[in-house]
Amino acid sequence: MDARADGPGRWLDLVRILTARNLKIRYKGSVLGFLWSLLTPALTILMYAVFARILKFNAGQPHYLQFLVSGIIVWGFTAGCLNDSLYSIAGNANLVKKVRFPRAILPLSTALANGVNFLLTFVPLALYLALTGTLEWGPGLLWLLPAFAFHLALCAGIACLVGTLNVFFRDTQHAVGIGQLAWFFLTPVFYFPRMQLEAAGFLGAWRGLVFLNPMTGVLALYRRALMGAAEQPLVPPEFAADVPARWVGASCAVCLAVLLLGLAALRRGDRTFGDAL
Amino acid sequence: MSEVPATEPRDDGDWAIDVSRVTKRFRLRGASASLKTAAIDFLRGRPPRTFTALDDVSLRVRRGETVGIVGANGAGKSTLLSIIAGTIRATSGTARTRGSVSSLLELGAGFHPDLTGRENVMLYGAIMGIPRETMRRRFDEIVDFAGLAEFIDQPVRHYSSGMYVRLGFSVAVQVDPDILLVDEVLAVGDADFQRKCLEKMAEFRDRGKAMLLISHDINTVRRVADRVAYLAKGRLLAFGDPADVSSAYERETEAAAAASVAQREWGTGEARIVRAACVDPATGEERTGSLALRSPGRTEFRLRWGAARRVEWPVFGFSIADRATSRVVFGTNTQIAGRRIPALEGEGGLAFSVDLSRLHPGDYLVSFSLHSEDHKTNYHRLEHALRLKVENGLWFDGLVSLPVEWTI
Repeated sequence: MDARADGPGRWLDLVRILTARNLKIRYKGSVLGFLWSLLTPALTILMYAVFARILKFNAGQPHYLQFLVSGIIVWGFTAGCLNDSLYSIAGNANLVKKVRFPRAILPLSTALANGVNFLLTFVPLALYLALTGTLEWGPGLLWLLPAFAFHLALCAGIACLVGTLNVFFRDTQHAVGIGQLAWFFLTPVFYFPRMQLEAAGFLGAWRGLVFLNPMTGVLALYRRALMGAAEQPLVPPEFAADVPARWVGASCAVCLAVLLLGLAALRRGDRTFGDAL
Repeated sequence: MSEVPATEPRDDGDWAIDVSRVTKRFRLRGASASLKTAAIDFLRGRPPRTFTALDDVSLRVRRGETVGIVGANGAGKSTLLSIIAGTIRATSGTARTRGSVSSLLELGAGFHPDLTGRENVMLYGAIMGIPRETMRRRFDEIVDFAGLAEFIDQPVRHYSSGMYVRLGFSVAVQVDPDILLVDEVLAVGDADFQRKCLEKMAEFRDRGKAMLLISHDINTVRRVADRVAYLAKGRLLAFGDPADVSSAYERETEAAAAASVAQREWGTGEARIVRAACVDPATGEERTGSLALRSPGRTEFRLRWGAARRVEWPVFGFSIADRATSRVVFGTNTQIAGRRIPALEGEGGLAFSVDLSRLHPGDYLVSFSLHSEDHKTNYHRLEHALRLKVENGLWFDGLVSLPVEWTI
């Protein structure tokens, strides 16, 4: 009697269980539990709203606050994944040393758990945008699908890469801390995409290369979906001559490349995980 | 050392585990690997320092066979098991398995402390690739076997180590693998659970499954294994009949243990204990060093002394200490006994007998001393001069059996 299921389907249960485990552990012992996934972004938005009002800070644009918090929430997924993925493998040493199973499941479930959490944080964001009348109802919202898909691919790739590196080099955690800050500033989270393209002026006609930062394109997709093309076009119209919207595709391609790179690193690292852990 | 020839199994095609010339070298690194040290080593062209954990090990486990692996800490037992489990790669050689492998490495390893017993069981099943439905059906049996029904919805961080192992063992067995790897876990858990485990393992074997069992407790291994492999410093020294291999192993470990107990002596040396012996009650011979006493009663010890100059009013003493804890079980001297010795000059002998019938079975160290009556001058102290292994059928808690009478 062999009870084992065959094929890749047999690992789906494990992905599901590990993802659920990562989510459970996140709020283990807290009274409000998963409600924090809703509460944290809601309170974050509230704080930005309150302080921006008090300080009368709007960067000279009518919907700056909506622009900002959508960037913050989206960035939160990437940042959360970066931090959690440090221990996606090292933190499961007892499993890795004990049983043979596809290692990619570990970082993958880290990314998925963060993805689920991100979808929850999306609820207060969408609510806020709707309440302030900046949410664009319509088929444009479908842009969320590729946005989330490529974002998830990017996060999974990062989780594999960072998780693998941190097994062998404990320096990774420090590098990730500072690297994350640099990446944050390289991504138009709190400043406008137009400013990024202006800063890349030295690239001339090649300034579209800023989209090689995958978060640039991913964030553009999210904002296009949420706030509409009129307010948040994929590429600012003043640069449309140099940078056609298909440059966003470069970001998406980089997302997939990071995923492949991450899986390759994991595969290479897997040969010696058992020794290093 | 005594060599028990490593039997070369025939290629009868009925193997479940086949380890062929496996060598494993680990890279040695500092306490924590860092990019800096890696870069420096690389730039200096320094070859990585390595440690050989397994050296050309070959063994084969047939279906329906239980093989025990014994060896001291660091002999490579766990490394071998990890290589068979597929979580560590051999540097050279191959390790193949036929069928699904379930392993019980370390104490309930793989359990997450924050998850409940139930969640951990389901997680383990998923890792073993067992469909959820199957795990649900077997769940009650797993919990029953572990005897943890009341605690199964508690986070396992609240479990005792015994509960951990019980749950670990019952999950590993209940996922019904073709090959079960067990690392050093049966030492934990109460007698009742150990018996259940042994029964389960027997049932397992009867169903034609293979089992590999690691322990440094030779007695567990001897009870369940069909064949025993003896690893030392990464080499397979012997593989074969449990009785032969375990007696070879016991000889080695006892020799090593004897060497590790330092026999020390100090004192002014004006008078010395030149020889300390115990009379073996079985043969009547004087024995020095270590000896085994089977159900000892009144046991005689003989000392020879020599005095370089005349020493007046000396006191002879001895103490018996439990080897595991170094705790002195009993000690006394001629002064306490009121036997005054006027003087020592030249050479002579002295004997005493002591009733050892109440000692708990185990290992004891006997020390002797020769000092002045006022305890100010220590002429000679002979620490751990004799090593006694007491074997008897006594069963009680503690080190000494005190006479007890119950009134009920």
